[in-house]
Parts: sequence; C-alpha cells; structure tokens
Amino acid sequence: MSNVPALEIKNLVKRYGEKVAVDNISLTIPKGSFFGLLGPNGAGKSTTIHSITGITQPTSGQILIDGVDVVKDYKLARTKVGLSPQEFNVDIFATPEQLMDYMGGYYGIPHDQRWEKINELIARFDLEKHRKVKFQKLSGGLKRRALLGRALIHTPDLLILDEPTAGVDVEQRHDLWAYLKEMNEGGKTIILTSHYLEEIQYLCNDIAIINHGRIIAHGTKDEFMKEGKSVEQTYLEIIKSEKPA
Amino acid sequence: MNWIGLYTMLRREVQRTLRVVIQTLVAPAISAALYIFIFGSVIGTRIDDFAGVPYISFVFPGVLMLSIINSSFASASSALYFMRFTKGIEEILIAPFSYIEMLIGFVGSAVTRAMMVSFLILGVGVLFGAVTLTHPFWFIFYIASIASIFAMLGILVALWAESFEQLQVLNTFIITPLTYLGGIFYSITFLPSTAVLLTKVNPFFYFADGVRSSMIGYSEANSTIGLVMIISLIVLLGVLVTHLFRIGWKIRT
Repeated sequence: MSNVPALEIKNLVKRYGEKVAVDNISLTIPKGSFFGLLGPNGAGKSTTIHSITGITQPTSGQILIDGVDVVKDYKLARTKVGLSPQEFNVDIFATPEQLMDYMGGYYGIPHDQRWEKINELIARFDLEKHRKVKFQKLSGGLKRRALLGRALIHTPDLLILDEPTAGVDVEQRHDLWAYLKEMNEGGKTIILTSHYLEEIQYLCNDIAIINHGRIIAHGTKDEFMKEGKSVEQTYLEIIKSEKPA
Repeated sequence: MNWIGLYTMLRREVQRTLRVVIQTLVAPAISAALYIFIFGSVIGTRIDDFAGVPYISFVFPGVLMLSIINSSFASASSALYFMRFTKGIEEILIAPFSYIEMLIGFVGSAVTRAMMVSFLILGVGVLFGAVTLTHPFWFIFYIASIASIFAMLGILVALWAESFEQLQVLNTFIITPLTYLGGIFYSITFLPSTAVLLTKVNPFFYFADGVRSSMIGYSEANSTIGLVMIISLIVLLGVLVTHLFRIGWKIRT
C-alpha cells in the first residue's frame, strides 16, 4: 500500500451566497482507514461529501483522492470513489439490478464483468428475491442495500457512506456492519456518517466532528473513548461546549 | 471517450421510451395515420396536387417533423428535469463523464428516441402510400439534426425550469407557433410577400423543407441557407449546453 493518503482535503471552503457551509476544512485520511464523520444536521457533512464526489463545486481549496485532484482530473478521480447517499437519488421505477447495471455502465465496465459483479452484489446483500422489483416498492432496508450495491459496482478504492443504515432494522444493520468490517479489513477505505453513534464506535478507527462547517475535533477512536467514555458521551460534550453560554 | 457510459445512457433512454410505449411511440403513429386519413382521404381528394404531388404527400413530412420535435424535446427535457427533481442527476455527476460526454449522452438519447418515432411514422406513411423516401441520407441527416437542436433546447428548458408547468413554456409560446407558421400545411407560394419574408427568417420553415425535400424531392427553400442555419444552431446550442454543464448550472450545488 502506497503512502499516498486515500483522501486529502486542503482548506476546503464552500459558500452558498452569504452562508458558509464548509469553512476552511483540512483533513487527511490514510488508506485502509474506517473514518467516522460526525456532526449535527446542517454541520457541513453532506456538503463535504458532495464536494469529494463532484455533486457540489467547492468554492476554494483542494481535494485529492489517492493523489488525484477531483476538479483538475475529475474523470479519473470519480472512478476511485463510490457513494451511498443519504437521500434516495434514483429512478424509482428502476430495479436494484438495473440501478447497478446502469451505474456500472456509466463507469465503463464491460457487460460480462459488470453482470458478474452485479450477481455478486445481489447475492452479498441478499437481494435475489428483489432484484427485479421496482425501487419504489422496496422496504427502507432493501433500498439502502440496493444503493450500497450501486456504490460498490465499480469496486472503488474509497467508499463514502452517508447515513447508510437510516431506516434499516436492527438485524439488517448488524449484517451490514459485518460486511463493512469485512471490506475494511480487506483494505478498502471507508468514510461513514451516521447519527447512530454506536455504529461509529463499533466500526470506525478514526473520527472527526464537524460543526458550523469546521472540524472541531479529530482523533482516533481510543482518544474519543478515553476515561471509559463512549463515543456518544464525548461527542455530546464537544458539541455542547461549542454552544454559546 | 467513455463509450460504454454513453451506450448505457442511450440504452437507458430506449428502455425508458419502451416503458411508456403508448405515449412515446403508439400515439405519434396513430396521429400520423389520422393525418393520412384526414389530409389524404377527406380533405386531400378535394385539393389539387401541390407541386405535382398529392396534398397528403406535401403535408406528411411536416407532420413527421412535428413528431421529431416533440419526441426529442420531450425526451431531453423530461429526462433531465425528472433527474433534477429526483436527484437522479447525481448518478451522472459522480460518474466519469466529461461535460462533452454528458452533452453527447443526453442529446444522443433524445435523438435515438426521435429516430425510433421517425422511422415508425415513415413506415406508416409508406404503408398507406402517403410518402416516399427520395434521399435516405438527407432524411437521416435532417431528422438527426432537427432532433439534436430540440434535444438541446429541451436540456436548456429542463435546466431552467423550476416546475412541470415551466417545462411547457418554450413549447407553448415558441416552438408550436413557429412550427405551424413554418409552412407545414401550406406552400409559401400561397402567401403575400410580407408573410413570405417572415417565413423565410423562420428556422422551422427550413427544417420542414429539408425533411420534405429528402422525402418527396420537392423544396421551396434555399437549402444552403437551411444547412447553414441548422449547423449554426447545433454548434451554438452545443457550446451553450456544454458551458452550462461545465459550470454545473442548476445541477451542481
């Protein structure tokens, strides 16, 4: 594994008119990391993720995925990252296998290779019975699994999961956690945002907290759990200390 | 060039077209058959030949052009607007497409649907003896070019629109009036001189004339002016749409 970080963000700023959504963030995530990005609603998590994946245009700063600039060399950079978004950004009339097929096609994966991967992902996420069911007819958990399959179709180096277990029942969530751990142990770098802090505590080895568009804490899971605290306790302490008295 | 990606965009549009086949293919074919019945059997038998051809043969290429315009505009505008509405556009934004490839993908998809509609209507016309195909190469050139122009106009409207109603504004106030005033149903030789002048600055006149000349070999327009106009519009709209994709207008936050 090379020393080039999986993701390097340098002085990222994103403004929407007068509003500063991301305020001069710098962050380095090494390869193989399972990175938790925490923060309240509207803190800047999704804007940061969208800047990495090309959905948002940064106002200033630089983002490198595996050393590749996401603005200057955007086509190559896009092949290195997969996104499972918070919102269901899909054609609701498409089936899980169609979603993966189209996305795999967009990434330029040849037919046979693409269908081999689709069948592997359908089996891995237990979607066999639902592979030809329209997205709109799927349960919340099945929708999340279909999106995860779509994000993995091109075998990205960096996987970004924005609230991947929202609406997923406990059993399926644990199954998903096992798969994510397995992928991370296989060397894949994963960035996870979640409001379930036990999920972050269970899965992540590095954690950052973002609030008002700024990184206000960054460290290892052990640092977040010192003195016998849970990640959730530390998170709440840090967020509360940010609020004006 | 991301060929597999572009092919996937085209394949997806064909599947989308076939998903609503009554709206996209059956309805234009039925309309074409009705035009043949009305302008061929009912009205056409009471009208003298136009330029040595029956009235239906004169009118039918214009009817076909209307369908090309409607299908390419609707395909591009509805596909992109729906993608903006559902955030499905993010699938394209995060994929390795250049801005030119995005343009080719969206326009190519709309042209593909327009081609399907065109050949279906042509089949209906030939089946009922309403038209012939004198210059197949020019026929394909004109339908592909006209479909490209209206696909790009559809993209512009889809980017601009903030509601489904706004999606219809250009069609209602610009495209439909200019189409009907572009000499589809009549010869410009019937018009007073001022109206002839106005018709000759209407691009739709050249679109209809180009399709008509490729089908029945009869032309009333200067084909060089028509070709320059068509190619200029394609280049102008292509540059504009690519620029808007590059800056992410209304699609990147």
